[in-house]
Amino acid sequence: MIRTAPDEMAGLKQGEGFLSLRGLTRRYGPFVAVDDFNLDVAKGELVAFLGPSGCGKTTSLRMIAGLVPSSSGHIVVNGREITEVPPYRRDMGLVFQSYALFPHMDVARNVAFGLEMRKVAKADAAARVREAIAMVRLTGKEHHRPSELSGGQQQRVALARALVVRPSILLLDEPLSNLDAKLRDEMRNEIRDIQKRLGITAIFVTHDQMEALTICDKVVVMNHGRLEQVGTPLEIYEHPKTAFVAGFVGRINRLAGTASGGIAEAAGVKVAAPGFTGPVEVMVRPHRIVLSAGAAPAGGDLHQLSGTVARATFAGDILEYEVEAGGVLMKTEAATRGGETVHAPGTPVTLSWRPQDTFVYTAS
Amino acid sequence: MSAIALPARSARRIGPTGVVMLLLLPIALVNAVGFLWPVVNLLRMSFKETQATGALIDTVSTATWATVLSDSFTLDLIANSVGVSLFITLLTLVASYPIALYLHRSTGLWRTILLVLVIAPLLTSAVVRTYGWIAILSSQGLIANALLFLGITPPRLMFNLTGVVIGLTEILMPYMILALLSGFGRLDPRFEEAALTLGATPWKTFWRVVVPLTAPGMALGCLLCFVLAISSFVTPKLLSGGRVFLLATEIYDQAIVTLNWPVAATLSMIVLVLFGAALALYTRALRRIA
Amino acid sequence: MTHELKFGAVKRNTVKLGAAALALGLLTQAAAAESTVTLMAYSGLFQERYTKAVVEPFMKAHPDIKVTYFPVNSSAAMLGNLRAQKAAPQADVVIMDVSVSKAGTDESLFTKIDEANAPNVKDLYPTARIPDVAGVAVTFDNLVMLYNSDAVKEAPKSWMAMADKTYQGKVVIPGMPDIQGLSLVIILNKANGGTDYLKDVSKGIAAMVEIAPNIQTWEPKPEVYAPIVTGQASVGAGWNARAQVNNQTSGGKLKATIPQEGTVFQINTINLIANGPGGDAAKTFVNYALGPEAQKAFTESMFYAPTNAKAPISQDALDRTAVKFMDKVIPVDWIALAKVRDAIGEQWRRRVVPASR
Repeated sequence: MIRTAPDEMAGLKQGEGFLSLRGLTRRYGPFVAVDDFNLDVAKGELVAFLGPSGCGKTTSLRMIAGLVPSSSGHIVVNGREITEVPPYRRDMGLVFQSYALFPHMDVARNVAFGLEMRKVAKADAAARVREAIAMVRLTGKEHHRPSELSGGQQQRVALARALVVRPSILLLDEPLSNLDAKLRDEMRNEIRDIQKRLGITAIFVTHDQMEALTICDKVVVMNHGRLEQVGTPLEIYEHPKTAFVAGFVGRINRLAGTASGGIAEAAGVKVAAPGFTGPVEVMVRPHRIVLSAGAAPAGGDLHQLSGTVARATFAGDILEYEVEAGGVLMKTEAATRGGETVHAPGTPVTLSWRPQDTFVYTAS
Repeated sequence: MSAIALPARSARRIGPTGVVMLLLLPIALVNAVGFLWPVVNLLRMSFKETQATGALIDTVSTATWATVLSDSFTLDLIANSVGVSLFITLLTLVASYPIALYLHRSTGLWRTILLVLVIAPLLTSAVVRTYGWIAILSSQGLIANALLFLGITPPRLMFNLTGVVIGLTEILMPYMILALLSGFGRLDPRFEEAALTLGATPWKTFWRVVVPLTAPGMALGCLLCFVLAISSFVTPKLLSGGRVFLLATEIYDQAIVTLNWPVAATLSMIVLVLFGAALALYTRALRRIA
Repeated sequence: MTHELKFGAVKRNTVKLGAAALALGLLTQAAAAESTVTLMAYSGLFQERYTKAVVEPFMKAHPDIKVTYFPVNSSAAMLGNLRAQKAAPQADVVIMDVSVSKAGTDESLFTKIDEANAPNVKDLYPTARIPDVAGVAVTFDNLVMLYNSDAVKEAPKSWMAMADKTYQGKVVIPGMPDIQGLSLVIILNKANGGTDYLKDVSKGIAAMVEIAPNIQTWEPKPEVYAPIVTGQASVGAGWNARAQVNNQTSGGKLKATIPQEGTVFQINTINLIANGPGGDAAKTFVNYALGPEAQKAFTESMFYAPTNAKAPISQDALDRTAVKFMDKVIPVDWIALAKVRDAIGEQWRRRVVPASR
């Protein structure tokens, strides 16, 4: 399903993806914003484009929408090549970070705009507008101006406006970034629910790994214009293909080490590193580390590292430690169950984790 | 908080309203001295009379008003001035809008250069610019020669309404562009992108999104240019060849050549009323489009 | 640009500024001379020539009197200044068009000039004394037909040459309410059999309607002479004095002639401002300005015809004035004419201007 190798149109068979990107590239002079992007999205999937700012995720989305012309490559939707089609004939629904609601129109007219452009019959359009406004729970606000609505309400109007035209693909450009934390969680689930109910194919651009992991079927991690990894949230989190993905999605501890003969050694810990030689980075997520006081009991097949507590943070639902071990600060965290001892700084401790929780990458 | 303490406090301090009043005082004074007082004088002058020789008669009578208002020429003047000014305003808007839009969207050094180019004409007097147009539009000028070269007999481009319209349009364009720019604040490119993705063609996007969003700027620019057009006399005087009768040039003639100050003052008051009408129209339009 | 309209206000302000500047000037000059006379008269060429021909020689002859020239660009603007200063005049003497000085007289702005306060009045031509005007004529000028000597080889014989098809778009005439346009109406009215211009000018208007289609502009700027000198226009109507000066400065490009239908005089009067600060020195200056010496000098400098019959003008200068053609001068009562000027202007606007479109 996922093609990372360059592909040609000849290799594009119908049904491979509802949306297919082939070698999609955008250059600004010598700068390559998006480099050889290949992707297949199945019908009804919600796909996240995840990455730090400037990674090319928004440019990719805008190329799909037709707002930014591609330098090379192809965009195919439902078997129809749309690379050269102007945005107003692409049949996409786009939701902007800044909502981009027309300030001179009320809610109903904003939502009706796309239908009007498609010359949908008045009565039919009115019914669909009513339905769309009801879907985003804004019935009664039809005649409010956008400026009279809260951020969350405005974003819901934007969603209704994009969806009322029944676009082939829904594009969401950081739709939650301008909302406060509580509203963000609410909207996130609302978007997911609506998307599933309508069965619409959607692309969700975000820099927030939580958003990407929690609601998307598939996550595309991008960095410096290049695709780093495509996979389900579970694959991305549990099997990050690159050091960048491992570091960007979730929190992680990094240990510098050296590999030879299939074994990497970092801070005195030996981990399996088949195929690696030379400097490597060994990584492990904080909550996969078990912290125990005192010297290590012989841990069987667990990786172990001794150190002393540098800082302990009790955060109610979790207990965090920073442990000075092997010349670096290792972070650990564990859900509290009640009755834990909080080890004071200076306490000697042992950190243990399972080999399958250990990632090894060639040091960059 | 005792009720007795309050008056004592407000007596020592100037309340926020007081501060506002104090800050408004200088401009109020300037307005009173520089605008209201002259207007009152003009109003007073319009109720005087002149002898046939031009000598002022210091009376209070409505004779001048009666003469001016019963003269069909006055009505012609008003209709002509309003019509010509509206036409010039419209032409200025059409000519300035694309420039303003382009300027609004350009950035960096290029934008600065363009802005300077737009504002530069304002640093030259209208008289000098009008003489520039005379050089361009005259029967031996640039345009006439270019047309002759193409084998076309050039029409009369100045010393008529055409010249007045061309000259005033160019002279008013910087004002219009600046007014439009000041009103383009709401025009975020995201709105246009939203319209495009919703299926609006660029043409539809322009009319349904860009035009309504820039309407306040257009209204302001039109008000400004209409007022400037109807009150300008240097350019019409130089370019009309005496063939176009406008309120402002008539006021000039009455005041400076014929020496009938009461008539000039009466016509000036009529222009002031037209300003008021334009302002009222603008306020109403703004309430509808904002 | 909007403030152009509120000319009343602007005028008043400039007047005050001017008055302040004037007052300052007066203070500094008071130390140098015993008394100061402020002369208000036309700006530009007139100021330049009048200062050289009259003001400077006067000061040489009267070292105790200093004359300050306060230039204003039109008679109407001068009257505006005088009205604003009525309570406390800043000027003593004003040279302006006769119809404007009549208005000033009616507004009691002037002191009557006669033999008692200016003995040279006795030598003036009878036409220099205008009934019901406080001042007396100081210069005579007359309307002339102007032509560009490159475009027009032979001096036109008739004003109606301006209606000739060959001059289409090449005729410049300062139209009404300017008195040059008015003067032309009166000349053509008489030429076409009109009798009393105060009662009926329809024949003159009809003649103007014939000329109108050829008109390039009714508002030649800065004056009517420039477009003829440059060749932008071929023929036109203007005042003789300036035409003569332009003839000299243009090396003969602009020429002036009095056609067979004749001409009319334009009169500038000199007026003594009531309660001016200069006192008797102002009368001394007025008398000098009317005297043969000043009249001769200014005529020979700018070719206004003299108003003093005893001024010994050189033949060369006389040839450039209307003095030789007195038979061609149609008498005009500018004071009476002022009363019907609006009515004539109305006909001009309704018939002549539309014919020029």
